[in-house]
Amino acid sequence: MRKIAAVILALALIASAGAQDKVIKIGTLFPMTGPVATAGQRCQAAVETIVDIINGVYPDLDLPIAKKAGLLDGYRIELVKADHQGKPDVAKSEAERLYGQEGVFAVIGSYNSSASKPASAVAERLQKIFMCGASSSAALTERDLKYFFRLAPTDRIEAIEFVHWFDELNKSKKAGIKTVGVIYENTEFGKHAADEAKAHAQKAGYKVVADVPFTVGATNLNSEIQKLKAANPDALFGAVLGADYSLMVRTMKQFKWKPKIAINFCSGYQDQKINEQLGKDGWGFMGSAGYTPEFGSRFMKGVAPVEAYFMKKVGVPFDSNSIQEAVAMYVLALAIEKAGTLDTEKVAEVLRTATFDSPLSMGGKVKFESPGGQNIMARSVISQLQDGAYKTVFPYEYKDAAPIYPIPKW
Amino acid sequence: MSLFFQVILDGLWAGLLYGLIAAGLSLIWGVMDVLNFAHGDFLMVGMYVSFFLGFLFKADPLVSWVASGIFLFLFGMLTYKLVISRILGKAMAPLLATFGLSMMVKNLVLNRFSPNFRILESTILEGRSFMVGDVIVPLPQFVTSLFALAVLGLLYWMLTRTRFGWAVQATALDGEAARLMGVNTEKIFLLVFGIGGACVGIAGGLLPSYLATHPDVGTLFSLIAFMIVAMGGFGSVPGALVAAVMVGLIESLAGFYIGPVYKYIAVFGIYLVVILIRPKGLFGW
Repeated sequence: MRKIAAVILALALIASAGAQDKVIKIGTLFPMTGPVATAGQRCQAAVETIVDIINGVYPDLDLPIAKKAGLLDGYRIELVKADHQGKPDVAKSEAERLYGQEGVFAVIGSYNSSASKPASAVAERLQKIFMCGASSSAALTERDLKYFFRLAPTDRIEAIEFVHWFDELNKSKKAGIKTVGVIYENTEFGKHAADEAKAHAQKAGYKVVADVPFTVGATNLNSEIQKLKAANPDALFGAVLGADYSLMVRTMKQFKWKPKIAINFCSGYQDQKINEQLGKDGWGFMGSAGYTPEFGSRFMKGVAPVEAYFMKKVGVPFDSNSIQEAVAMYVLALAIEKAGTLDTEKVAEVLRTATFDSPLSMGGKVKFESPGGQNIMARSVISQLQDGAYKTVFPYEYKDAAPIYPIPKW
Repeated sequence: MSLFFQVILDGLWAGLLYGLIAAGLSLIWGVMDVLNFAHGDFLMVGMYVSFFLGFLFKADPLVSWVASGIFLFLFGMLTYKLVISRILGKAMAPLLATFGLSMMVKNLVLNRFSPNFRILESTILEGRSFMVGDVIVPLPQFVTSLFALAVLGLLYWMLTRTRFGWAVQATALDGEAARLMGVNTEKIFLLVFGIGGACVGIAGGLLPSYLATHPDVGTLFSLIAFMIVAMGGFGSVPGALVAAVMVGLIESLAGFYIGPVYKYIAVFGIYLVVILIRPKGLFGW
């Protein structure tokens, strides 16, 4: 009897060891606490949504990873979560922990450009893959890294598009936009976005009349908005995240000031919850959008069924940022399948060379530049919040509403 | 010229709000030598109380501040009873305990209410302002400032003109002697912690009129409050008021005339200078 028990125990151990081997550990590194935690948690949920689809069988989804359970010959993906709190130093040490102690195959992250930068430097040193979904600082992909792959369009791509949009408005609507101002959080992301905005606006002949950085989580933005009001630019570029965005809009209202056009880089503008709560005060502002539900239902048919699973987790649809993190996980899975192995070098090589079909991406394709890792197929559109909904206003081939210009006064 | 007055007034509103937030901190330190690290989280809890009353029962912050104040009064007393009273006088222990409490409260709120930013829509004061000449006076900040003056005035009156206040002062100066004179210092400590909580609770109750509520909202406020208390002199209510207004004005003037990015450099720079010249603060006991 004892012998039988011992044999069963041994078999069970072998079986469980076998099952444990068939796991690919992927690290996620987002701001789960701190001032941009909402965005971080949504990014995390987006990655989890794709992982659920990979690990399970979802015949109703038109994605290659949904048809069978797991990757390769039955590898499950297991996520190891980490929180960088929006702090670069924490991001670095957490990346070291994920790759080192946890032994993850790759890390997906990190929302804040300032966090993605040090975390991906760790990955490069260890020659491990770092998939970056939403961080938009152009500087990230100008480091010629070989193991870094970023999905989102950069601030530079967006700045060029914004300025192009001003030109277009000046031409078609006689908008009279001549001067611009920038307001931005004083971080890697904000500073870089503002630099791009200023450089491209100046290049196109616009005069920069106000340059206003602020401290994240500020107790008030009074002097910042006063400064803008005093300079009174025709157009305003914003790189303002989370709660600071709502404070900015409300302070503008208090001081009864609005530019003719206000356009935002990846920011609080894109957070639907914030805009719902701001109500009418938030209407008329514009911003870049890599994704809006309205846009998705018209041009990206593949998103809706995946989005339904995502909404079960967080109660809101994808936004421009969270969807990029979903794509990051998705493309990584495709690359592992295509490489047919868990050899980091071979998977990275696939990422560097292949073009991926991605129904979750605007434009439907993903292709990374190498070295550097920028997704050269990344696209974004300009949307405006009209009557509580994000309407695409530019480029014209995607537009579903005419722009309201200038923004109505308070 | 009107722009200058605008900047000055903006600084004044910010300063008076800081004063209201710092008052409770100052009182607790002055009487008990306890630096309450969870002060910013008390503010955040007060904001959540006010937000949820507004969200669920449509109560305006102009009413909810009463509830926030009472809630934080009780919360403060509970903190004293369950945590501080057990370790009072044991070197760094109370400070470290409030640090733990801060982390616990913040993460509990994060866990229960998510990190979402919560904004109260269409409150009575939101977005309203009036003009004095060319100068815009935002109503939410103006009303908060009036509350700050009233609460600080009341606190000062209570400390200097009532028997309770004398007992508090006696306890602060020499707890042992106060006990020998028949002062129930334990009760004084309990009430002081409650009153400190109530002050910051009132501020938290009013803030959702114009500020988003989220688990991290108290962080920078508490940092500024610590600085104000140190600058005004630990335990001095008038000191806290003067220091708070100074901080608000420096912040606003430097923010506008030098550049927004310099405002905290200026504020903390001047704080450093004051502390170097007068280590006990401007009005230190």
